[in-house]
Amino acid sequence: MKRQYQQRLMIIISILVLAGLLVIGQIMRIQNSAEAKLFREQGQRYATEFRTFYPERGSIYDRNGNLLAGNKTVYAFGVQLSDMKDKDAIATAVAAALGKSPEEIVAALASPAEGQQFVVLGDYVDAAAARPLLGMLESTDPTLAATASRLRGLVLTPHPQRDYPEGSLAADILGFVSREGKGYYGVEEKYNSLLAGSPVQAWVPVDPSRAVEIPRVPPGTTLVLSLDRELQAASERILDENIKKYGAVSGTIVVMDPRDGGILALASTPRMNLNEFWTYGTVYKNATEFNPAISKPYEPGSVMKVLTMASALDTSAVQPHTPFLDTGAIMVGGATIMNWDQQAWGQQDMIGCMQHSLNVCLAWVAQQVGADNFYKYMIRFGFGHLTGVDLAAEASGRLKLPGDGDWYPVDLATNAFGQGITATPMQMLMATSAVANNGKMVVPHVLSAMVRDGHQYDVPAQFAGSPITPETAQTLSGMLAQSLEQESSNALVPGYRVAGKTGTAQIPGPGGYEDGATNASFVGWGPVGNPQFMIYVWLERPAASIWGSTTAAPTFSEMAKQTVLLMNIPPDDVRQQLARP
Amino acid sequence: MNVTMPRVTRSIEHYVYAYSQAPWRVQRQRIGVALLIALLLAAVAALYLEVTSQAAVIGRQIQDMSAETITADRSKADLQSQIATLQATGTLSPRAQELGFAPVDSTTLLYVIVPSYSPARTRLTLGAAPLQPNTPSRPPEYTESLVTWLVRYFGGNQ
Repeated sequence: MKRQYQQRLMIIISILVLAGLLVIGQIMRIQNSAEAKLFREQGQRYATEFRTFYPERGSIYDRNGNLLAGNKTVYAFGVQLSDMKDKDAIATAVAAALGKSPEEIVAALASPAEGQQFVVLGDYVDAAAARPLLGMLESTDPTLAATASRLRGLVLTPHPQRDYPEGSLAADILGFVSREGKGYYGVEEKYNSLLAGSPVQAWVPVDPSRAVEIPRVPPGTTLVLSLDRELQAASERILDENIKKYGAVSGTIVVMDPRDGGILALASTPRMNLNEFWTYGTVYKNATEFNPAISKPYEPGSVMKVLTMASALDTSAVQPHTPFLDTGAIMVGGATIMNWDQQAWGQQDMIGCMQHSLNVCLAWVAQQVGADNFYKYMIRFGFGHLTGVDLAAEASGRLKLPGDGDWYPVDLATNAFGQGITATPMQMLMATSAVANNGKMVVPHVLSAMVRDGHQYDVPAQFAGSPITPETAQTLSGMLAQSLEQESSNALVPGYRVAGKTGTAQIPGPGGYEDGATNASFVGWGPVGNPQFMIYVWLERPAASIWGSTTAAPTFSEMAKQTVLLMNIPPDDVRQQLARP
Repeated sequence: MNVTMPRVTRSIEHYVYAYSQAPWRVQRQRIGVALLIALLLAAVAALYLEVTSQAAVIGRQIQDMSAETITADRSKADLQSQIATLQATGTLSPRAQELGFAPVDSTTLLYVIVPSYSPARTRLTLGAAPLQPNTPSRPPEYTESLVTWLVRYFGGNQ
C-alpha cells in the first residue's frame, strides 16, 4: 500500500517537474526568440527619448538697464483626439482665446487627416487668454470637475516667445525674432547665435527610476546696448514731428558718442511694432527701409564738404583764411559747376565757403588737394566700405575712383560737395567722427557689454585709424562752429557751442537729377572743445522747404537740446566753471 | 543489580529516541534550509525593491523639480517682461503727464556748482567681472633667501 502511494507521488512530482521545466523552457525560448529581441529593441527605444533642450534667448537691455527685448510665455492649443470626449465643449471653451468661431474649431476636430492623433488648434496664445482655461484644467475643485471632464483631450503647451516691452521703440536697431526663433535685422540678427545660445541634445530616460542628470542648458547671452532708451524715445518723437512738419517722405536721426562710437539713439521711419512682426510686409516695401541709417546709401550733398575741407586742411592745400574769389561758376573736366543759388559770392575765405556752402569754392578746394590725395582721404574716411557697425543688413555706398570706367574728372568736383558719391548716414557719421574726435575715427557700435554665465564682458571701443591730424580736426571744428554762429544757423543750441554742416542734395533719377526734390541733411557735434554727442539728420524729400538749413538744421537743434538734457551735459559756461581748479 | 528507572524518565527517553528516529526530522531540516534561503531571497528582493522604489521616487522628484525650475524661469521672464511693459516709455510718459509732471527743458533747468563734488559715473553692471585666467606663480623656493627658508623650515618643524 505504502509503495503504491510512493509511486503515485513520484508520478505527480514528475508531472509537476516536467510542467515546470516546460514553463522554464518556454520562458527561455520566448526570451531568446527573434520577437523578444524586437520587443527589447522597441523597449529600449521607448525607455529613453532624445530631447533637445533649447536655452532661453538672451535679453537685451539699454545702457541704463531698461529691458528692450525679453521673453514671455505663450501657449499652443491642441487636442489629443483619442482622449477627446466633447468637441463642442472644447470648441466653445477655446474659441474666444483663439479668436476663432466655435464652428470652425468643431470642423477642425471633426475631420482630422487620416491617422492624425493630435490636432493643433492654435499657437502663440497670450498667457492672459490661456490662464482661465489652464485654471479650469488644473483645478482640483470638485465643482469644476464636470466642466474639466468635458474638456478632456484639450492640451495647452507653454513655450517662450520673444517680447518687446517697448513695442516699436528702437525697432530699427533691435530687429525681431521669427516664430522659429531666428533673428532678423538689427541686433537680433547680428548677434543671433549669441542670443539664442547653444541647444543641448541628450538621451533622457522616461523611466523615473533611471534618473540621470539633466544637462545644464545655459541661457543665451544677454546683451547691453549703448542705446539710451529716453534719448531713443526723444529721437523718434522729434523725427516723427519734423517729418510731419516739413512734409518729408521719411527720415533718420542718429545720435552717437564720438569718443567711443557708441550709438545712443537711432530713429528712422517707418517703424513697426516688433511684437507684431508679421506686419513686416505691410510696413516696409523693401529691406532697405527697415534701417535706412545703415542700409540705404544716398548722395549726401554738402555735409560731405566737411570731409573735403578736412582733407584740404590736412594736406595744407588751404588754411582757414585762404582767400577765394567766388565768381559763381567753375569749369571742371569740361562741366560747369555752379553754387546752390547760382550766384557769385565774391571774396571769401574758407570759413565763408563753409558758411555759405559754396560748391564752386569746394570744387576749387578739391582741385587744390588733387584727385590722388582727395580719394586717398575719402578711402581713409571709409567711403565705399562697410563701417562695421554691429547691425545686420549694412550696405556700403559707392565711391568712384579715378580709373573706374564710370569716373570722369568732373566727379572730383561733384564729389567734393557730396554729389556723385553715395554713403549711408552711418558712414557719414563715422567719417565725420574723425573731425569731432580729434582726428581719431571711431567704429560705430551698439553693443556695450555681454553677460554670459553670470559674468559681464564689456566691449571696448574700436577705432578705424586717424585719417587727419588732431590739429586739422580742431581747426575744422572751430571753423564750422564759427560758420554756424556767423550765419545764425537754425542748428544752434543755446548755451552750447556746436559745430556742423548742412547738406541739400539733389536726388538722381533715371533721366538725371529730379527737379524740386532733395535730401536734406545735417551733421553736427558738441560741445565744441569736448564733444560728447554727434547727431546726423536726414530728411528725405521735404516738401515744406528743399533746403537742409531750414529743415534738417532745426531738427538737429531740437535733437541736440534733448540730448544735452538727457545726457546731463551742462552748458558751456557751467562746464568751464567746473573745469576751473 | 537491577535498577528500575522511574516511569516518567522512561517516557522522556522514549520521546527523545522516537524524535531522533522520526523520518520527518530530516524533512524539517531541509524545509528549514529552503525557508531560510527563501527568506534571504525575499530580504534581498525587498531591499532591491526598496532601493529601486526610492530611486524612482527621487527620480520623479527630480523630474518634478526640473519642471518647476523651467516654470519658475518662465515665470521670472514673464514678470520681467510685465514690469518692463509697465515701465515702458509709452506707458510711463502719459501717466507722468497725467500726474502733473512735465518734460524738463533747458529754460527750467538750473545747474548748481558744488565745489569738489564729482558726480559718480557708474556703468551698468548685470553680472560679475569676467574670470581672469590663473597666472602661474613661482614657488617660494625660487624667490626666498636662505635665511627665510631656514626660518620657514625650522619654524614649520616646531
